[in-house]
Amino acid sequence: MASTETNASCYLIRPNYQHKFKSSLVKECIREILREHLTGLQYEPEQIPALSRTLADCIKDRLKGDRYKLVVQVVIGEQRGEGLKMAARCFWDSDTDSYARTFHECVLCGGSVWLLLLLKKSGSHRSCTAG
Amino acid sequence: MEEYQTGDEVAFVVDEVNSIIKESVEGAIGGSTYQHSRVNQWTNSIVEQCLGQLSKLDKPFKYIVTCIIMQKNGAGLQTASSCFWDNATDGNLTNSVADVMKTYNFALFSCLKM
Repeated sequence: MASTETNASCYLIRPNYQHKFKSSLVKECIREILREHLTGLQYEPEQIPALSRTLADCIKDRLKGDRYKLVVQVVIGEQRGEGLKMAARCFWDSDTDSYARTFHECVLCGGSVWLLLLLKKSGSHRSCTAG
Repeated sequence: MEEYQTGDEVAFVVDEVNSIIKESVEGAIGGSTYQHSRVNQWTNSIVEQCLGQLSKLDKPFKYIVTCIIMQKNGAGLQTASSCFWDNATDGNLTNSVADVMKTYNFALFSCLKM
């Protein structure tokens, strides 16, 4: 009876530890992007919508990969001493999915990235803003 | 062998989810004024309630819920999101509510579990 060879990668439903999401690296990557775009910036109401979209797209393009769906959220606020609180909760598979979040002081900008393991290969892009 | 059903029972019903969000906000905050000492508890309560109700819908989705509460003092706030997913099955919902003292901003992202 002929033995059949199986391609091991077809049956992987959990990433190997080498390919698992590394939160600290992603955090550093987001922090670098925020630093590049926001150092010395003043809050200008006309420019901020486009800037926030650009930042979100930039982070997504830098991080998108093979096996993960990606959700990037960027929040930019003006520093006027207002109180602000942001909370997030996720309903996912904690073995495979994770997130990274960072914060940039000067214009009050927070970037969060959520990564969800993708079992199918298709992917497409979508961006949106909310004021 | 039964084929995996993708139909109405799997679709994301926007009205249903909107009403879940509205109920969570009203339940947690009602008509309260902005109180710095309580805002932590409010945001946590809203997202937990939302997520609890969404998981009870028993749809094959993973969810990410975020909530921002900001005190109104004339400062501007902008949120943007960018997603790499499957447009046919995944979606998001954003909602922004303002009253005299504070602004709430919600974003809900849902990805089909496959």
